[in-house]
Amino acid sequence: MFPPADYYAVLGLPRDANPEEIRRAYHNSARRLHPDVNIESGDTELFLDIQRAYDVLSDPELRSKYDRTLPPLESPRQVVDVHLLYSRTTLPIINEPQLVYALINLTAPLSDLPTENSALNVCLVLDRSTSMQGERMDTVKNTAIEVVRQLRTGDILSIVTFSDRAEVIVPANRRLDRTSIETKVQMIQSGGATEIFRGLEAGYLEIRENHNKKSINHIILLTDGRTYGDEAHCLKIADQAAARGVGISCLGIGEEWNDYFLDNLASRTGGTSTYIARASDIRRFLKEKFYGLSRTYADNVRFDFHAGKDIEIRYAFRLAPEISPLETFSPIPLGSIPMEGCLSVVFEFLVPPLPPNTNQIALASGQIAMEIPALASPTSVTRLRLFCAVQSEPSPEPPPTGMLNALSRLTLYRIQERASVELARGNVKGATQHLNNLATNLFAQGQVELARSVLREAENIQRGDSISEAGKKNIKYGTRALLLPASADAFTSIDDFEVGET
Amino acid sequence: MILCPACHNQELVGALFCSACGAQLTYQTKSPTETVQYPEDMLATAVSLEPRDVPPAQAATARAGLKIVETGLVIPLEGSEEFTIGRVSGTQPILPDIDLTPYRAYEGGVSRLHATIRVTSDSVSLSDLGSANGTMVNGEKIPSYEPFPLSAGDIIALGKFQIEIIIRS
Repeated sequence: MFPPADYYAVLGLPRDANPEEIRRAYHNSARRLHPDVNIESGDTELFLDIQRAYDVLSDPELRSKYDRTLPPLESPRQVVDVHLLYSRTTLPIINEPQLVYALINLTAPLSDLPTENSALNVCLVLDRSTSMQGERMDTVKNTAIEVVRQLRTGDILSIVTFSDRAEVIVPANRRLDRTSIETKVQMIQSGGATEIFRGLEAGYLEIRENHNKKSINHIILLTDGRTYGDEAHCLKIADQAAARGVGISCLGIGEEWNDYFLDNLASRTGGTSTYIARASDIRRFLKEKFYGLSRTYADNVRFDFHAGKDIEIRYAFRLAPEISPLETFSPIPLGSIPMEGCLSVVFEFLVPPLPPNTNQIALASGQIAMEIPALASPTSVTRLRLFCAVQSEPSPEPPPTGMLNALSRLTLYRIQERASVELARGNVKGATQHLNNLATNLFAQGQVELARSVLREAENIQRGDSISEAGKKNIKYGTRALLLPASADAFTSIDDFEVGET
Repeated sequence: MILCPACHNQELVGALFCSACGAQLTYQTKSPTETVQYPEDMLATAVSLEPRDVPPAQAATARAGLKIVETGLVIPLEGSEEFTIGRVSGTQPILPDIDLTPYRAYEGGVSRLHATIRVTSDSVSLSDLGSANGTMVNGEKIPSYEPFPLSAGDIIALGKFQIEIIIRS
C-alpha cells in the first residue's frame, strides 16, 4: 500500500540532509501521525514507516549502510524552477520590529513537461442532505456523470454520498464501469441532515485504498450546509490526509455553509474552498476542479522549515493557481504546481529589532518537498533558504513591481478579513470603517459592482442589521477572485478538456 | 513605525500597503499622478452615488467644450489655452483646471492629474499625463505625454470616464 522503499522520501528529505534536518522532519511527521491522535487504524502503518525511516537515518552507521543500498543519485536535474522575490533585499538595523515579504514562484520546467495528463485517484464526497434537493442535486448528478465519461484508463474515481450517514456508492476501482456508475449516480436521493465527518471519513478510506504517488490523490467535498459538533474530527482527518499527501478541496454551494471551517479544512491539506453562489455554476466549478487536478505537475508541495531566530511568519497566502490563505507553521502545505502557470505564494515575515553588527538575517530555511507523478521516483526535494542582507543605513530601494502587484490586491482581501474579525467582536464601527475603505479601493480599481455590494453590507450593519451570509461570502470570495490573473484562459482550457476527452 | 499618509494608521517599517485603508505606503517615482493613496475624505465621493447638482454650463463664448457623456453636461474650455483634467484630492495640493470630482470621476478611474487638453485657434489636442488607468480616444489607447489631435465628436475615456469633445467650427 505504501512501500517504505525510500526512507528519505518518507520523511520528505534530500539525500544529503543533516542530522538536525532529519530530527525535525521526523518530529513534524510523527506529531501528525502518532497513533494516539489517529482515527483510522490504517494510518498507524504510515507512522511505523516514519519511525523505521527515522531509526535508520538518525543512526550514522545504519544510515551509511542504508545509503550504500540506494541507487546512485540521478544527475541533479532541475525538476522545478524556483523564483524568489523579496520586498526588500537589504534591511536596515533599527531598534523596532519590521516587515519583509517574500514571494515564491514554483513552475514546472518548460523543457520537461509531461506529455500526458496526470492520473487521478479522486473521491467525490457529495452532500445529499434535504437542502440539496432539486436543481443543486440534479446539477451535481449530471456533472458527476459528465466527469465519469471523461475519465481516462488508469484514473480512479470513487463516489461517497452523505447526510447523517455515509454511503460509498462507487467504491474505488481501477476498472471503471461507466454504465454502472451512471446508474448509481442517477439513483442518489436527497434527504437528511449534514454531517460532514461521515462523508469525509468514508471518502478518505476510499482514497487510501488506492493511494499512490504516481497519481493525484484528492478528495472533492461538495456541500451546502453546516456541520455541527464533528468539526474537530473532520480536521483530524484533514491532518491525516495531509500527512499522506491527499488533498482536500471544498465546494460550498449557496450561503449556509461554514466558510471558515471549510477553508481551514482544505488549507490543512494545501487545498482550497470555493464559493458557488448559484446551482447553475456547479458544473463549471466542478469541471474546473477536475481539469486542474489532471493538469497537475507536482502535488502535495509542502514547505518544511524552521524560522530564523525570533522571526515570525505573520501571514501566508497562495496567489496561484488557486487562491487561498495558508497555514503559518511548518510544514506548510502549499498545494500543487500546475503544468501551465505557476504555484505562487507570499509570506509576511516579522523581523525583531536587529542588533548592531548584523550582516545577514535568515528568515526561514528548510526544504520544499513534492510528489511529481511523471517522474520515476516521484518524491522530489529542493532546499530553500530565505534571507536578507542587513546594513546600518536604510537603502532606498523601491519594492519590485511584481511584489507590489501581488500585495496591492492581497491588502484588499486582508481588509475584508479585518472587517469580519471586527464584526465577530461586535465592533460595528470598526467593521464599517474597514468595509468603507474596502469599497473606496474597489471603486478606484473599477470593481464597481463588488464595491456597491460592500457598501450595502456596510450600511446594513450600521443600521444594526446583521450582515447577510450571502453578502459576506460574496465579499470574501469576490475580493479573493480579484487576486486571480485577469484572463479567460481557464475557461478555454476547460473546453479543450471536453473536446479532448470524448 | 511609519504613518500612513492617508489615514494616519501606524504600520511597521517595511509594510507596503496600509492595512487599514489600503493606501500604498511606498511612493513610486514613475508618475506624479499615480493613484497611490485613497484618503478618507475621498470616501464621500465613493459613497454618494447620485450625481451632484452642477451649475448649468455657460458655453456661449468658448471655442471648445467637454461633454460628460453620462450626464450630458457641458464644461466650456475658455480663459486659457491649456487645461489640466483630473480630480481634487484631499491631501495633495494638486488643483486640476477641470475638476471632475463632482461627476463621479473617482469611480471612473480618473487620476488626480489625468490629462491635459490644449485648445488653439486651429487645433485641439489631448495628452495623457501617465495616468494610472490610461486615456483612450474613440476606444484606442493613446500614448502618454504625447499630444494627440482631436476632432469634433471624438469620445475621450479617462479610465472608464467618458467625455465627448465639442469643437465649434
